[in-house]
Amino acid sequence: MIFYLGPLILGFILGFIIGTRIKPSPGSKLKFDKEVYAVIVIVAVIVAFWQGPFPYYHDIPLASGFLAGIIGIILGKLTLGR
Amino acid sequence: MSTILKLFVFPISLIIILIGINTILGGHITPGGGFQGGAMIAAGIIFCIIVYGLEESPIKISHNFMASLESAGALGYVFLGLAGLVFSGFFMYNLGVDLYHIVPQFISNLFNYPDPTHAGIIPYLNFVVGLKVLVGLSAVVITFLESDKLLGKDEQSDNIFGEDEQ
Repeated sequence: MIFYLGPLILGFILGFIIGTRIKPSPGSKLKFDKEVYAVIVIVAVIVAFWQGPFPYYHDIPLASGFLAGIIGIILGKLTLGR
Repeated sequence: MSTILKLFVFPISLIIILIGINTILGGHITPGGGFQGGAMIAAGIIFCIIVYGLEESPIKISHNFMASLESAGALGYVFLGLAGLVFSGFFMYNLGVDLYHIVPQFISNLFNYPDPTHAGIIPYLNFVVGLKVLVGLSAVVITFLESDKLLGKDEQSDNIFGEDEQ
């Protein structure tokens, strides 16, 4: 099993940039709590599994950049998106 | 917008954004690259902005953020091109990741894309183009939505032909 670091790093950076922009709206009645993000992570893992080892076809049987992107979004939301 | 849309659009837009990120990452070996992936990320952001409105959208993009991200993308593209010009004499020459053995080996291994194509700097060009495009396309929609506020119009002046309502 090989981990190619290029897509992991770039996917994480792109996800982190988007995640830092996810901020709560004070006047809105809709709240997206941690349950929503848990569902998004589960859906993202399923989609990544269906995509297979994209884009390198030789590493883990998941789309590693896709997973790095969702991890970046969650971490960006937790750190700077408050 | 309806409540169902407001419940479902934010998670779906995040998945659209992730598919855009995946398109950018595979841009050197599959159809689509920085522009297409950036457009997909912008589509996710625009989806949120249209459904929730500019004020209540969970993905908030400020003008300073747009300016800094687009500048970073453009500068990254220019620097990658200048690296080719400096080390080989040709602008945007694909140097690979070791830059004529100047870069230390562990950094070269970190940023190497060891696929059969040996894409070199192409994935990084896709990355910076994606940054520019995601901000640029989002900025167009945000500017259109803010146009009433910028022009000082109120909600009653939606009649673009200036005709009286009958």
